[in-house]
Amino acid sequence: MLKAEPKTILNFLANYFDSLKDLFDIQATDGVIQRERLAQVLAERNDNIEATLLEYKILRKIGEDFEFRDTYFKLFEFILNEFRPLLPETIQKYEQSIGKLFQKIREGVKGDTLILRSRIDDLYNEIKEFSEAVEKNTIRLLAETRELKSNVDKLDYKEKVRKASFWIDYYIIPLNNILDINHVDSITNKLFDISQYTNVRRLNFNDESIRVQFEKLYTFLVMTNDNLLRQSKLLTNELLPLIERIRTESIILTGWIEFLKQPYKSPVPKIFKPERNYPYSNDMYLNAKEYLEQFITEENILVEDPIANSDKWVFNKELYRSKMLEQLPIDSFFDWCGLTLRSEYKDIETDKFFALTGLLFEDDIMLELDENEKDRKLIKTSQMTLRVPKIKILKYGIS
Amino acid sequence: MEFPRYHKDIVSDLMSGKFILASDPKFVSLKESEEFYSSFFKESFGYEIEIKTDFAYLLSYETGEQLSRDICLFFAILSFELDKDGKNFLEEIQYAEFETEKLDEYFSNSSYAELILNNNQMKDAFSRKQFYTTLNRRNIIEKTGENKFTFTQAYKVFIDFAADFAKGKLNAVNEYN
Repeated sequence: MLKAEPKTILNFLANYFDSLKDLFDIQATDGVIQRERLAQVLAERNDNIEATLLEYKILRKIGEDFEFRDTYFKLFEFILNEFRPLLPETIQKYEQSIGKLFQKIREGVKGDTLILRSRIDDLYNEIKEFSEAVEKNTIRLLAETRELKSNVDKLDYKEKVRKASFWIDYYIIPLNNILDINHVDSITNKLFDISQYTNVRRLNFNDESIRVQFEKLYTFLVMTNDNLLRQSKLLTNELLPLIERIRTESIILTGWIEFLKQPYKSPVPKIFKPERNYPYSNDMYLNAKEYLEQFITEENILVEDPIANSDKWVFNKELYRSKMLEQLPIDSFFDWCGLTLRSEYKDIETDKFFALTGLLFEDDIMLELDENEKDRKLIKTSQMTLRVPKIKILKYGIS
Repeated sequence: MEFPRYHKDIVSDLMSGKFILASDPKFVSLKESEEFYSSFFKESFGYEIEIKTDFAYLLSYETGEQLSRDICLFFAILSFELDKDGKNFLEEIQYAEFETEKLDEYFSNSSYAELILNNNQMKDAFSRKQFYTTLNRRNIIEKTGENKFTFTQAYKVFIDFAADFAKGKLNAVNEYN
């Protein structure tokens, strides 16, 4: 017998909700609340409520440990929308109880109305419990599957495939069989039979109060059948593909990991190898590049600064100036520059050529420019071809 | 004789090792003339043509084994790293846009470092960039920006290979047991 007022208990639940939620989580995971865990949770929030939890019959003692009483556990499951999934075998028990009650109702429909009324009530309750169990399972399975899909726990692929297979094999497929309307032995099919029977009885039963009960059962069955159909669709349209996909992903990953163990000894998919390449084909360059890149072994390239002044050419102005003065008059200055450089070096380097042209500005020479465009000369240096005018050079003061 | 529409381009693309994708107008013509192309390549060159629902490609007697192996290695390591990063790798490969910088991060920190360093196509960021060019030219990826790309439906050839590979391995284990 509870001494406390109902409102007091509800206030207590509200005031200590956080601690109670932690305790609920512990029981949901471990199945029981160990004494040390209870003490730890209550100490964390400084809630000294162990005695009250027992007094209000929220917890009960199991040896040294504790557990929530069913009423409160279900209340927390409901308000937190966190349900423990029932094994389909457990849900299957409703098939028997519902079937048995329905059989009794049919057999005793002309018998005692008192027992008939009780049986209809019980059948109503069993169907309600069954429907709630299925709904809770679907909610939980959906949450589990989505969590697995988003992989918030960062499970490795083996654990993921193990979990996915577990949910599929033990929960989703059996639950789907229970709900599958096309399955002769499914509970859903049985509920349709009951629905048809009550639909007739709600109209033609001679006792009015029983008619009302049949009416209530029928309305509830219509609603339940709709709900079960929705749950079944959720399973087949969302849950199964979602979890199948996790399984597929994991198979692919298994394949890759196996492949990576011996990547150079395993067979690989066939892809086309272009065989005939003509030098003028559009793809020749890229195909050749692709082919050659396979064999490139890049060596480290060290870039060093050139050793300073080792072979740097320094323009010896005096030397060339005297060379020029010796050969005056020069008919074409730029030709002379070219010839001079070629006599000393293999190629005419642009820099050297330009350095020599600086001699044009010396004092003791006189320039005569041939302005005829046609007489322009082409001088080829190592980097460019220069088109230059013809400049005659005379010694200053002598015509 | 009348040839299907885009005939020259279809032959040219397939003969240079490209995948022809469903998004390409050539694919419709190829699909419509499936029988013709099947016998055309068989009779002319001895090649087989694979026309799937969303892509087509050519198979020769001698296959581009090295490239195929490199692509498998690339997909394998990428799938593994994406999964390690808590991502649904299949969804990522199907729908996501990849940035080469992020891929460099995956490859640089991968536990398969030895395999990566010994592979000319994947050993460093520069090699991988070249490799993406090859994949792009073969229509296995589609560039969406300077350093971004998405995979085309051609990824399925390699992903299906991995699934078959796993099944083969699993069967082998079961038989052994």
